[in-house]
Amino acid sequence: MIPVTIKNLVFSYPQGRNNILDNVNMKISGGGISAITGTSGSGKTTLCYCICGIIPHIYSGKISGEVLLFGKPIKDMDLAKIATKIGIVFQEPDTQLFSPTVEDEVAFGPENLCLSRDEIGKRIKSSLNIVGMENKRYEHTSHLSGGEKQLIAIASVLALDPRILILDEVMSGIDKAGRMRIKQAILNLKDSGRSIMLVTHDMDDLDIADSMFELKDGKLLSLAYK
Amino acid sequence: MPFIEAKDISFSYSNGTEVIKEAGVSIENGEFTGLIGPNGSGKTTIGKLLCGILMPDKGNIFLDKEEISNLELCQIGQVIGYLFQNPDTQIFNVIVKKELSFILELKGFKKSFIDYQTEKMLNLFKLSNLRDSYTFNLSYGEKKRLAIASILINKPKFLILDEPTTGLDIKSKKMLSNILKKLLDRGIGMLVMGHDEDFIKEMAGRTIKIREGRIIG
Amino acid sequence: MDKYKIDARAKLIITLCLSSIAVFIQNVYVLGFTLVAAILIAMLLGAKLLLVLKSFKKMWFIFAIIVIAQSIFTNAGANLITIGNFSFLSTGGLVKGLEFVLRLAVIVISATIITTSSHREIVQGLIQLKVPYEVAFMVLVAIRFLPIFMGEFRDTVTAIQLRGVDIKRIAFKKKLKMYYYIFNPILINSIKKAHKLSVAMEMRAFRAYPKRTSYLVLKMSLRDYFVILSSVFFTVALIVAYYLFLRGGCFESIINYRA
Repeated sequence: MIPVTIKNLVFSYPQGRNNILDNVNMKISGGGISAITGTSGSGKTTLCYCICGIIPHIYSGKISGEVLLFGKPIKDMDLAKIATKIGIVFQEPDTQLFSPTVEDEVAFGPENLCLSRDEIGKRIKSSLNIVGMENKRYEHTSHLSGGEKQLIAIASVLALDPRILILDEVMSGIDKAGRMRIKQAILNLKDSGRSIMLVTHDMDDLDIADSMFELKDGKLLSLAYK
Repeated sequence: MPFIEAKDISFSYSNGTEVIKEAGVSIENGEFTGLIGPNGSGKTTIGKLLCGILMPDKGNIFLDKEEISNLELCQIGQVIGYLFQNPDTQIFNVIVKKELSFILELKGFKKSFIDYQTEKMLNLFKLSNLRDSYTFNLSYGEKKRLAIASILINKPKFLILDEPTTGLDIKSKKMLSNILKKLLDRGIGMLVMGHDEDFIKEMAGRTIKIREGRIIG
Repeated sequence: MDKYKIDARAKLIITLCLSSIAVFIQNVYVLGFTLVAAILIAMLLGAKLLLVLKSFKKMWFIFAIIVIAQSIFTNAGANLITIGNFSFLSTGGLVKGLEFVLRLAVIVISATIITTSSHREIVQGLIQLKVPYEVAFMVLVAIRFLPIFMGEFRDTVTAIQLRGVDIKRIAFKKKLKMYYYIFNPILINSIKKAHKLSVAMEMRAFRAYPKRTSYLVLKMSLRDYFVILSSVFFTVALIVAYYLFLRGGCFESIINYRA
């Protein structure tokens, strides 16, 4: 089954006059890194919100067309269910990390799912392993660098074991060394068989992408396939 | 004597971690200086020390020949404009044009003068079509431009900009570098902190490298 | 120093006991004794007392004011310095001032006992003491975001000064306006942050079920039970004994006798 299918998606915010997404069609197939670029204000973040259900579950607006997650319309699923299938990491690490230590942060998701303590322990270990942060397990999140914080944000979402990950501008404001580590983590995620949607305005981040799209004035253009 | 000079300054956080270790910096006005280093290397701290927001534990800083600890922040503000990393903490109004005019109103300037200055800044920073917009609806790049514009309306002689390009796309970056070049032509010097080496290269000025609280060249 | 590790709940209860003694008892000797006990316990548990003690330096001023005020307005004790008919410094005033400082010191030092546990342990302690998760979680988030908000607040106040506003010497009418300006970014930022935070939490399945498990589970050892029981017993006994026998205070009776 195709993880994400978007059919004729049109969206505008309640106050907005024009369509921020204008007839978007897209498929994210199993595995691989799809990159979406576009200038700021082109609707990248809005598209992310539509794919992971933040629209229409948290933000509302005028919406038509369909977003299917493993064949089911996303608007009929509840957010907790969606969270186990698709995860999203945002641009600012500070509003995504709210726990005192790395371990607590990664445990937060599985705790909400009422998993057993053994299972939570396993997930903490494997999530931190994929992003290469096992050695920071007992550190305070506030003591980490920007890049490390984003790696922990990725690991915390990963602990819910989603098949698809949306990374919305996760490398903005991160220095070179931090970017390298995040890119490596993204490649590890791809190797684990997950589908990754990498949203960025920085062309330097595109070297790891398998397919590329550009959002321009709400329309999605396919750029290239490797 | 250079415009800003710091001699062997050290600074520690209240928890005792030393973030700046015996650093010396001297900056001339009228030119572009880039301060480059990775996240957490002490760039922001240096910037805050150089304009008196933080006080060094050791060492001295001189601004235009004056020991900086003798100056009040509002006096320093007449000379240096400082852009904080997060534009949200320094936008005080909900309407764009108000943000430009309010500081002149507080200082009691005439309305005709204020209107003239506001229009000038709106044009220079390409914000004219946004003059009546809500500031909290602006994009990140627009907010940064607005913040720099409202600092400039104060007519500082020098700018310290903390990561002005972070989070900006290519178009906004280009726009910003054009504006900064115009300011340089007018003789306003600037210190730009960042890890965006391409941007700093484009501005073609002097670069200072910092790593773990030490100036390394 | 922290080889004496005890459960976060035990610490919460010790703190509660010590501060109730400080609140309910008005006797210098008992308070002095409680302060010594609080310092000892805090040291045993590895609290960083040095920082706290530094902040006590500024207390001398408050102490002096209270002593003088109490000397002027209460007639207890012998007058030490009088100006005309006015008692400027009296033993009663000194005792009251001392009491106040001791009380404050006990409360502050007992609070440092809690800080020897991580926030997470304290919140888990609250949860296992049957405080609802949402409430405990709010405490956690508040502790986490307080420094960030403080930092942003500082930046905002600095930013307006760097625009050339002299916040100390600005005229009163403009001062009100200035507060409004400073308030704006703080309000907008907190709303934005709260919103982003709640979206991030929901996307990590927060409140998926009415219940949730907890990876960290605090287990009480025999020692913790012993600590809790003995501190509760001791505190209750002390307060009861004080109100039955010592009320009025031996110290005061000596003073009154002399007067």
